[in-house]
Amino acid sequence: MKSKDRALALYLIPAPMLLLSLFIGPSDAVSPSDVLQWIGSGLGITAFPLIPENSIIDAVILEVRLPRILLAFMVGAAMTVSGNSLQALFRNPLVSQDILGLSSGAAFGAALALCIPRIPIQPAAFIFGLLAVGLSYFLARSRSQVSIVSLILSGIIVSGIFTALLTIVQFFTDPFKLQTIVHWTMGNLHHADWTRVKSAALPICTGMMWLLLIRWRLNVIALGDEEARAVGLNPEKEKIFILLPATLIASASVAVAGIIGLVGLAFPHMVRLLVGHDNSKTQPVSLVFGGSVLLAVDNCSRAFADFEIPIGIFTTLIGGPFFVYLLRQNRLNPGEK
Amino acid sequence: MDKRIVRLLITIPCLLATGIFFAREAAAWVGAVDFRGKEIRLQRPAERIICLMESALTGLYMLNAEKRIVGISQNVYLGNTFHYYAKMDKRIRNKELPAPGNWDFVNIESVVALKPDLVVIWSEQTESIAALERHRIPVFGVFIRKKEDIFREMHGLGELTGTAPRAGYLITYVREEMNRLQGRISSIPENEKPKIYYMWAQGNLETSCGESTVNDLIETAGGRNVCRDIPKEHLVVNLEKILAWNPEMIVMWHNERKDPGDILQDSQWARIQAVQNKRVHEFPEVFLCDLWTLKFFYASLLTAKWSHPGRFEDVDLDREKKRMIKVLYDGKMDGI
Amino acid sequence: MPEPAIFIEGLQFAYGTHRILHDIRLDIPHAEFSVILGRNGCGKSTLLKLMAGLLPIQNGRIRVCGNDLVTMSHSQRGEMIGYLPQMHSPTFPFTVEEVVMTGRASHVFLSPGKEDREKVFQAMSLVGLGYLSKRPYTELSGGERQMVMIARLLAQEPRVILLDEPLTHLDPANQARLLLLIKALIKRELTVLAVLHDPNTAFLFADHLFFLEEGSVYTPQDGREPWDPEVLSRVYGTSFESIPYKSRFLVIPGSD
Repeated sequence: MKSKDRALALYLIPAPMLLLSLFIGPSDAVSPSDVLQWIGSGLGITAFPLIPENSIIDAVILEVRLPRILLAFMVGAAMTVSGNSLQALFRNPLVSQDILGLSSGAAFGAALALCIPRIPIQPAAFIFGLLAVGLSYFLARSRSQVSIVSLILSGIIVSGIFTALLTIVQFFTDPFKLQTIVHWTMGNLHHADWTRVKSAALPICTGMMWLLLIRWRLNVIALGDEEARAVGLNPEKEKIFILLPATLIASASVAVAGIIGLVGLAFPHMVRLLVGHDNSKTQPVSLVFGGSVLLAVDNCSRAFADFEIPIGIFTTLIGGPFFVYLLRQNRLNPGEK
Repeated sequence: MDKRIVRLLITIPCLLATGIFFAREAAAWVGAVDFRGKEIRLQRPAERIICLMESALTGLYMLNAEKRIVGISQNVYLGNTFHYYAKMDKRIRNKELPAPGNWDFVNIESVVALKPDLVVIWSEQTESIAALERHRIPVFGVFIRKKEDIFREMHGLGELTGTAPRAGYLITYVREEMNRLQGRISSIPENEKPKIYYMWAQGNLETSCGESTVNDLIETAGGRNVCRDIPKEHLVVNLEKILAWNPEMIVMWHNERKDPGDILQDSQWARIQAVQNKRVHEFPEVFLCDLWTLKFFYASLLTAKWSHPGRFEDVDLDREKKRMIKVLYDGKMDGI
Repeated sequence: MPEPAIFIEGLQFAYGTHRILHDIRLDIPHAEFSVILGRNGCGKSTLLKLMAGLLPIQNGRIRVCGNDLVTMSHSQRGEMIGYLPQMHSPTFPFTVEEVVMTGRASHVFLSPGKEDREKVFQAMSLVGLGYLSKRPYTELSGGERQMVMIARLLAQEPRVILLDEPLTHLDPANQARLLLLIKALIKRELTVLAVLHDPNTAFLFADHLFFLEEGSVYTPQDGREPWDPEVLSRVYGTSFESIPYKSRFLVIPGSD
């Protein structure tokens, strides 16, 4: 039961991780003892006198660090859980939100909503994310079969189209386009605030809850359509109920944090290396692992420099070599088709 | 003998004539070193200029060299500075002046078709520059990172367009204005200079640090740039860092999506001194405050007045503005 | 007379314009082992898939344990009919235990519980796979995978079991184990229907035999036995020789 112990250990990570992250930041203005005092006062143990210096400390912790930590955790968890679900759903360990075009679709939707008044961002991101996945799927489908390679190819095409559309939108709306496009496509968390946390919390929590509830069914679906039908599941229905929440949480993440590279692709593989392939375990572990690791990466980027580096750069730099390792070890094993 | 003398008599004037001709030719060459360190030499002052950057475009109008412009950037027609150029130039008003590119992209073919004898462009656009130079089109590349660069740019444009005296006059005028401002600022003790955070329009966290025109702006205005110790031009900084710097004043570049009011109401910014004391200011518009042009000193004056309202009570910004427009644009823009 | 486990009437099926099955009428008796024989491409697998609900019924009627197949929900069907699909190679290296557990899909609401784990354990012991439970399914041999899928079928606990060529990939020991297992299932009131290649296996183990010929059920005339070489040569299109064995006959194909 080694993987079971490991899973248990992983469940214990997030709480101390979240707490520890409160202490990390680029400024010397807030010392660890300030954070301790702040936490203490929140718990009613120590006093936190409202002098001007403390007001800034309070602002840093409450308005800057806390929302960012929560956002990083939510986005990491959502991208990993959604990536794992999509890989099981498409029976393809090489797909992710980026490869299926979901990310660029959602980013396009969000960008469109930004420049057209009165269109809410989250639903727009969701609809275009869903549209992109749908397109990739149906373009890849021939004779009701979807091969691993054709899905990836059609995904790349769809993703390219939506990236181009995104560029067009930004080109026509933002006078400082290039800078902003870089930040969108590399993903960033430095705009984290309570508004973003609140706007992402509802879709991410609902979608993730749903995916956790049906986690075991992913195993049945991952085996194959006929195999699922033979044991009394309707794969078409099940797939829709996996695809909808997986798209929902991924596009909600993209809407608040842009496209954070390789999280949805590489993190689920890391999780499987740790606890095996049973989705009953990988789904909840994806939540705690994805959230904690992205948070840790963001902590490094926050501690590293006074200026902001898009977090997607770090995740890509970590995820890339890991994927190469999997490739060399022949661990990706897409099976014969 | 006679023949020899005759030959000599014929040869010497010929030699003299050619010598004089070549000497005159040599004298007609104009030249300047651009920001890439490349020497641009033209046989005669440029007559067909394509200008693909606003700083130089407005500079050419200041130099009264606008008749020589044969191509501009599309952004001039689309941007919010259009009416200024329209006022100065009928061709722009009627949208007749060709636009073979915009601030970022250049259509090489359209540029070549216009047969320019000089292209002025940002020197970072190395690919476009290389392509143009392959077509043997002289390119004056500009890169502005501090206020001295603006003088250098004006000087170079003056040389290449044969308007050096006008350029010299403008540079002296602006230097004098700057000195006047400097005179007022120099008496201010360091601890009375407000800590200023400068905010670009792209986002709240986008600013310019130590090595930038913005830094010059803040310093000439008697302020201290909060991130002057970071030796960078443009950066996205950490919000936490801004809170820790706790600036006493925030200067926003002209922003169509945000106003000082938005920053004043943003809970993330609420505890910053500048916000609590309501010292958040936005440049009223882009054209007159353009930091990459000689109009720079007006932006400095504005910032100085925001920084030290008491010391600049007597400065009438409106009058200063009118005077600046009159001098720099030689009366072409009066009454706008 | 008890109602047959499966009752088929007027069943037709076509892929596009290509007709596969013509007007099938078939009663599969309850709690017995029935076998369908026929040559390749005669529609055996299609018939089985129709019974399993994997293909839509175009014409005709199938009733399983008294219920019309069309009106059943997926999970009702899952509880009633178990189907052994032909082999696919899965993408993910799930462990054997995890694969067998998926058989419980129609019984499990969200996550499998203690009871489900017990059923899985029993099913694996029944097919003798206990020692493989933690191994990745993808690393197994074809025969082992087949046995895993059979364990999955048992974990599903259906009342009717449909097996599409279950003996392919299996070595003789596993073939024998499976056939004995089928006998044991019959004793537990289950109905088993298999499509088999080898007529001899059918003669030796089946309680009932059906021949499928070009999409129709063929019933030997004049009370002929199924091992009659004339019957077989009509069904398979090749000649047979029959050899007496115990109270029956075995056949050798291809001899004159």
